[in-house]
Amino acid sequence: MFRVSAFKRLTSSDTSIGKLSHQLQQQCSVSRTAKGKGKVKAAQTLKRSKAAPKKGGDTGGGRKTGLAVELEEMAKKCLNAPTPIRFLKPKERAREAEREKLGLVSKERQREMDALKKQAKEGTGFEKPSTMGTPGLDLISLGLVDADAIPKYELTVEDGRRLAKEYSRVLMRRHRARQKAETTLLRLKKEAIEALPEPLKAAALVPDLAPFPPNRYMATLTPPIEGYIDKIREAAERSSVKEKLR
Amino acid sequence: MQRRCTTPLMKSLRRFSSNSSTDKLVASVLFERLPIVVPKIDPVVYAFQEFSFRWKQQYRREYPDEFYKKYEARGKGDYKIDYKPASRITEADKTNDKRSLERALDRRLYLLLHGTTYGSPDGKPVWHFPEKVYENEETLRKCAESALQSVLGDLSNTYFVGNAPMGHMNVQPTEKADPLKRFFFKSQVIAAKNYNISGCDDFVWVTKDELLEYFPEQAEFLKQMIIS
Repeated sequence: MFRVSAFKRLTSSDTSIGKLSHQLQQQCSVSRTAKGKGKVKAAQTLKRSKAAPKKGGDTGGGRKTGLAVELEEMAKKCLNAPTPIRFLKPKERAREAEREKLGLVSKERQREMDALKKQAKEGTGFEKPSTMGTPGLDLISLGLVDADAIPKYELTVEDGRRLAKEYSRVLMRRHRARQKAETTLLRLKKEAIEALPEPLKAAALVPDLAPFPPNRYMATLTPPIEGYIDKIREAAERSSVKEKLR
Repeated sequence: MQRRCTTPLMKSLRRFSSNSSTDKLVASVLFERLPIVVPKIDPVVYAFQEFSFRWKQQYRREYPDEFYKKYEARGKGDYKIDYKPASRITEADKTNDKRSLERALDRRLYLLLHGTTYGSPDGKPVWHFPEKVYENEETLRKCAESALQSVLGDLSNTYFVGNAPMGHMNVQPTEKADPLKRFFFKSQVIAAKNYNISGCDDFVWVTKDELLEYFPEQAEFLKQMIIS
């Protein structure tokens, strides 16, 4: 049953399940998912890795079409994709500096130097506030934040520390105010209960364990639009009808 | 304010009953609508979040563009509807219509009625919370529920939070009338856009700041009892 479940899940491309595919025994041929094939190749020993790309993989080798090749290449590119700034430990940086003195420059170092040159020519491009999240629904355009009230900063460590301190100060101030308000609420409640006459006081002290109403509205980013859910329901029915006709 | 209760206390000690048995109790209801929209974010907080996002983005891998095209092309069986998000500032905000529930969507709104109540001085109509004098019901919460029911009609769209009151006030309306004790009960709006308010000449849904304007002498107490 274990193997059957593994096979069923291999049809979706998922890296963690892809790893499972070579721990369990692969009795059935792998379907055309690039990530599954890529992981299988990486698990083989180094000696075979040079021969395998030329052969085109052994499991299900006959089935490879142009699409699979494309997917594989893309997967390889993604796995080795570069980052805008390289993260190097101080020892590694020292080693790179020494190699430069010797005249040896690695590919990544070369890329970094090119990027720096380009930046020196064009400028950092950090002046306009970059949008976080999906274009229409990010916080600035929704009116949640005033764009001009945001403090200016550079992407340096000192500025980061200063921003972090202010952030922490604002949030802690708010937290303390909230705690104070809640303590006041509790105190007022206790005083009110004390001020009640005896039979009512006993009734008030009974904890109300009835469940919260299930349709209590939870605050969202934007207010609800009337009649939108009917639109969605209609569209879902339409699209599901199409699937059944297959 | 508590000292006024000691004389009825002395009287009641002889009768073994509890304190303030001669005082009138009034159960009033703080009917609130919870915020519908997430509150505004402080720019400092946003700046830090943006900084940390950008800093971490520098160390994340840049995938080639074909990857993103493939990713988008997958959901072909789904329906496509244009979604235009509704604005957070509604029409009721622009017209400042105090009777509508759509007004300040990121704050809490409280119900206030205008009319004559038990505690109002000289029987003049005044702004007050929905309230009812306690007669012999089982608990004070039931009294508060009936108070709200007399205003709204039915209680299917309300939720009373807990059996205990959330605060009390000692009120001396005029010299000849008895001192009142007003107990506030908290209840919340559940799933309703507008209510049929009856039993009074006027009603408003107000935020906390406006509420403090309506009750100038009790502002301190209300500020403590109501957060935000």
